[in-house]
Amino acid sequence: MNESTFFLITFILYIFSAFFYFSFLFSKKENLARIGFNLAFAGLIIHTLALIWRTVESGHAPFTNMYESLSFLSWASILAYVLIEWKFKIRKAGPYFLLIVIALMALASSPLMPKEANPLMPALQSYWLWLHVSVTLLGEAFFAFAFITSIMYLVADSNEKKGSAKKSGLTAEKLDSISYRCISIGFPLFTLGGLVFGMIWAYKAWGSYWSWDPKETWSLITWFVFALYLHTRIVMGWKGRRSASIAIIGFLAAIFTYFGVNYILAGLHSYA
Amino acid sequence: MKSFIEFFSSVKLAIVLLIIITVSSTLGTFIPQMRSPEEYVARYGQLGNLLNGLQLTRLYKSWWFVFLLFLFALNIIVCTLKRLSPKLKKAFKPRIAIEEKEAAVLKIKEKLKNSLSLAVTKEGLKKELSSRHYRLRETEKENKTFLLARKRILGWFGADIVHLGLLTIIAGGIISGIGGFRRSLTFSEGSLLDVPRAEFKLRLEKFETEFYPNGAVKDWKSTLTVLEKDNPVLKKVVEVNHPLSYKGFVFYQSGYGWNWTNPSVEIWVKKKDDPSFLKKTELKLRQRVRLEGEDIDVAVLQFIPDFVIGEKGQITTRSLEPNNPAAFIEGWQAEEKIFSGWIFARFPDFDRIHSEKETDLAFELKNFKAGQYSVIQASRDPGVNFIWVGCTLTMVGLFFAFYWPTREIKAVLEEAQNKTGITLGGLATKSRDAFRSEFEKITTSLRRLK
Ligand code: HEM
Repeated sequence: MNESTFFLITFILYIFSAFFYFSFLFSKKENLARIGFNLAFAGLIIHTLALIWRTVESGHAPFTNMYESLSFLSWASILAYVLIEWKFKIRKAGPYFLLIVIALMALASSPLMPKEANPLMPALQSYWLWLHVSVTLLGEAFFAFAFITSIMYLVADSNEKKGSAKKSGLTAEKLDSISYRCISIGFPLFTLGGLVFGMIWAYKAWGSYWSWDPKETWSLITWFVFALYLHTRIVMGWKGRRSASIAIIGFLAAIFTYFGVNYILAGLHSYA
Repeated sequence: MKSFIEFFSSVKLAIVLLIIITVSSTLGTFIPQMRSPEEYVARYGQLGNLLNGLQLTRLYKSWWFVFLLFLFALNIIVCTLKRLSPKLKKAFKPRIAIEEKEAAVLKIKEKLKNSLSLAVTKEGLKKELSSRHYRLRETEKENKTFLLARKRILGWFGADIVHLGLLTIIAGGIISGIGGFRRSLTFSEGSLLDVPRAEFKLRLEKFETEFYPNGAVKDWKSTLTVLEKDNPVLKKVVEVNHPLSYKGFVFYQSGYGWNWTNPSVEIWVKKKDDPSFLKKTELKLRQRVRLEGEDIDVAVLQFIPDFVIGEKGQITTRSLEPNNPAAFIEGWQAEEKIFSGWIFARFPDFDRIHSEKETDLAFELKNFKAGQYSVIQASRDPGVNFIWVGCTLTMVGLFFAFYWPTREIKAVLEEAQNKTGITLGGLATKSRDAFRSEFEKITTSLRRLK
């Protein structure tokens, strides 16, 4: 047994979970969704062990290269999912959300991602690494969920307008409100982890809390998009399609901050 | 003036500004920033001139970007101030007596009647609300009794606290921009430097680079002493992530470098036809040393840390890192030069020795020692405390805005023919479902009142 075995078991559990969830979507049998949820939960536990293993083995936080970071983001997403499911009980978003997680896990296990744990370069040796990355990625996991429910909203809304919506279950209105609830969890987390902890750490390591490096700027852009979401909604009363579109753009900005900046734009952050 | 306030308090303006600032920030991440104007012209041609002209090449410091941020700050100030005073009034000097139809327009409401006296009903309701941590206000008017019950008032001000925090951050940014300064200081061991704009000096006692077993850098550590009027007052090991703070200045380990002016070089001498022959010598630059047991002198005339042959065939160094160290050596027999040429540490079997006279000696560049200097960044940033205060306010505000929803219940009680009629209406800024169930519990307990 080692970390990669745990990782593999987790991956398989998530795939099975998605499989059961999709069977639930087609068959409408509630207990299939319950099995899906339990599998995802079991995956979360094994995944936690994998991360702990990695931490003990490497002696540092489990998110210092892209493989680790993707694995951690998947973990945070499932954690967010378990919390949301427990609070809001919206089974139908489960299958789609699990697709995102599976894509992240697949990317993490692809041969493009070097798996070996390298010793930490000097700037990364800080407990702010833990706080900064873990809180930010948890925030982004909630944005990811809002992304899914926003897309589901757009579909449900056009079905309702066409009159082809199913009477029972998840209405467009409910999806809209769940997107908002997720963003109102993700936004403070992202602010705290991405911007506040990021600034504190940058100040400690580089001597300047803000240097407009592309990763910083893109975090700020992401944050602005969600600020836009909140204000159009709270102050101008936008809801529905326009809100959902902004939430989708916000998540795409978050994704770009996460991947795009590393592979397309270079900067101080290029090691993480 | 009125239209000025009108304009700057509008949330529409905030949204337009947010969009413009977001889009232009994006541009700045795709155009490399802060290069020389010539570089842009070389890279983008005619477009380069346009980028320079629009200051897109130093976007975040350009006048128009700063101006946008200024408008944004002004927007927040005017908007918050305009909304604040009615809000404060509502929070601290609320109108308690309401018309019944005011309660009726609230989303969450209930009307009920019981056969108890008004006094008993009122006490029951008050007790129920108090036990749920509502703060009560009460008044009477025209035989009616009005109750106003509220809790978590701070939730109303969450957004204002966030905005105040943002303003503090923007203020901190401006102060940093104007009053902040940073300078790289380059120390070799033992050197003493004046800190620019400060009264004290710094001395580097010791500089070490720590490595991992695989050769990667683990840490740089500089032992620094602060001297006030030549008296040492403080000594600290500065490493990456562990700066030294002193009198408003902060000193960071930002890098290191090699001092290549006077390296010492270790050379191994072998004989091609005698495998047991091995002589090790350590040489300073341009120091002529007799090879032990031989009649030959050798000297290292030049040392290059990162050997490369340039476009015109000239020999230079690609960088200041010892990536491809090379030494130029010369050998003498009496006053006659017998060989000269380059030897390479990374390629021991390859040399470019040019011999005047037959010799079976072979040379290897084995090791080198050069002084390292430490690069310490000195900075003074008077805005930074504003930033931390601003961040704290923002986070506290976000908490109150999202997770401390204000709840308000208005009640009108009226006694008629030994019965008491109660009209209740409720309002919550967030999580209305939770409030609705609390509201229902309150009305249920009212019905059960005996
Ligand atoms: C990036 C900048 C900004 C951020 C992060 C921000 C943040 C927030 C947050 C978190 C809320 C509470 C939302 C909620 O309760 O769901 C809020 C509300 C609000 N914001 Fe902003 N804000 C920003 C800029 C502005 C600006 C420039 C204005 C100027 C007009 C503004 C006007 C408002 C108003 C009017 C409200 C509603 C306040 C209330 O509850 O009374 N905001 N803002």
